[in-house]
Amino acid sequence: MKLGLVIDLDTCVGCHACATACKEWNASSKVNGALSDYEPFGAEPSGVWFNRVRHYEVGDYPENKTINFPVCCMHCADADCVTVCPTGASYKRDDGIVLVDQDKCMGCNLCAWACPYGARELDQVPGTMKKCTLCVDRIYDEMLAPEDRQPACVLACPTHARMFGDFDDPQSEVSRVTAERGGFGLLPELGYAPVSRYLPPRQPQPVIDADDARALLERGLASLASPVIRR
Amino acid sequence: MKPAVSIIFFTVSSGAGLGLLALVALCDTFAFGSLPAHALWRGALLGVVLVAAGLASSVLHLANPKNAWRSFSRFKTSWLSREAVFAAALFPVSGLYIVLVIQSKGGASRILLAILTCALAWAVLICTAMIYASLKPIRQWHTRWTPVNYVLLGHWSGALLLWAIACAYATRSAPFLLVAGVFGLAALAAKLAYWHSIGDDAQALTLERAIGVREGVHGPGPISAAHARLLDVGHSHGTFLTSEFGFQLAQRHARGLRGVALALGFGLPLAWLVVGVAHWQPALAAAVCCIMGLLVERWLFFAEAKHTVRLYHGDPRT
Repeated sequence: MKLGLVIDLDTCVGCHACATACKEWNASSKVNGALSDYEPFGAEPSGVWFNRVRHYEVGDYPENKTINFPVCCMHCADADCVTVCPTGASYKRDDGIVLVDQDKCMGCNLCAWACPYGARELDQVPGTMKKCTLCVDRIYDEMLAPEDRQPACVLACPTHARMFGDFDDPQSEVSRVTAERGGFGLLPELGYAPVSRYLPPRQPQPVIDADDARALLERGLASLASPVIRR
Repeated sequence: MKPAVSIIFFTVSSGAGLGLLALVALCDTFAFGSLPAHALWRGALLGVVLVAAGLASSVLHLANPKNAWRSFSRFKTSWLSREAVFAAALFPVSGLYIVLVIQSKGGASRILLAILTCALAWAVLICTAMIYASLKPIRQWHTRWTPVNYVLLGHWSGALLLWAIACAYATRSAPFLLVAGVFGLAALAAKLAYWHSIGDDAQALTLERAIGVREGVHGPGPISAAHARLLDVGHSHGTFLTSEFGFQLAQRHARGLRGVALALGFGLPLAWLVVGVAHWQPALAAAVCCIMGLLVERWLFFAEAKHTVRLYHGDPRT
């Protein structure tokens, strides 16, 4: 199994719902313990997040486009964060999920240095490294309805820009949509074989002009009216 | 990368200690420079103390040091784990070696321990360097010059300390002056080569590659050969990522600090060697001056390194 996410850059509106839903679910999760906040109501709020959304502008006006860009753990097939870990706290499961054993981590930060995506964040309160769990405590929970056995970020996304599934299964939604839309992994040149995929923005459909719109409307009205008139 | 004082002190202090230990053990093994026993054990002991001080400092870097003992467990994959294992083995081996030297015992066991001490010192030095050199997201570290630098800089500072010890206790200190000079020039060449190699940013990753738009994207029309910039970073204040990877060093400061590192770390000690006054006080001063310079050099090693996370935070290239 190779579990991961698909993130659709075409439909993502950059609302941060994935990030906040992730924070909400994982702050009370037993997998990582709480996600600490520092000065949450102060002048300089900060804290541990597994999912961060940034916003970029590509190209120059008028040939430009805004891209909203959520980043969380890619659950790399060849995860250096696991290789460099001296304590064995970082590990990769058979289903592909990369996790940190909070009882073993010594907080050396080396895994965060080895991750090119910034997917790992040290929690200053326990002094241990924390990261996306792909909601391992949701996706296998048989107490939940089958449609709810997905990561919190996927369920929260209002534009369905996030999908979750098994990339080893060619029939899965994530595999199909990746193949159809030319999904890509980030920074493949580093050789980490990231599993999660990003779907590039689609070619926009041409907008019809006013004359075309009127002609279409008249044709539509005529086709509606013709049976009545014939009668 | 954030220049963490604990790691800077660790790599410089244990680098000098490991270099000194290896050189003392080699001198003893090959009877180089006919150092008396009381010079050998003092040298080896100073080396062990410097390594121990460095390792103690490195523990300060850990956010959860109570699990530090677990770092021996991933020898097969992790350079940090290998460093911990070799460093832990170095202390009993070098300790036993020092005891034999103090008792002026000769023979095969002392030679064997000297060779083991040297091999372990080299192993620790290489492991320390490989921790940095193995990190692919940091171009300025992921180069063959990183281990070359760490090994040569450790031996250079260690050789200066050995020269000071030879000035104090040996009948002839000239051979050690020569050894220090050779390591000094080699280390200087390696450092200049390292700075030259990281200055070539043809291999640098770009923001466009990091977000996958290098080939262009579909906008209102096709945007080919796109270039990208950060509009909004998405957080209201700093994060772990900005504090760990966001350190910015102004170009002109970098140039100035490189000058300081070259002057203190290489220029002044090498000048002292050329003057060649064989008293231990100026020799020790040269060694201390070199270590000060290497602290600046190591600070720069961190400050000039750019992690790929910075691309996502808006840096055009790393």
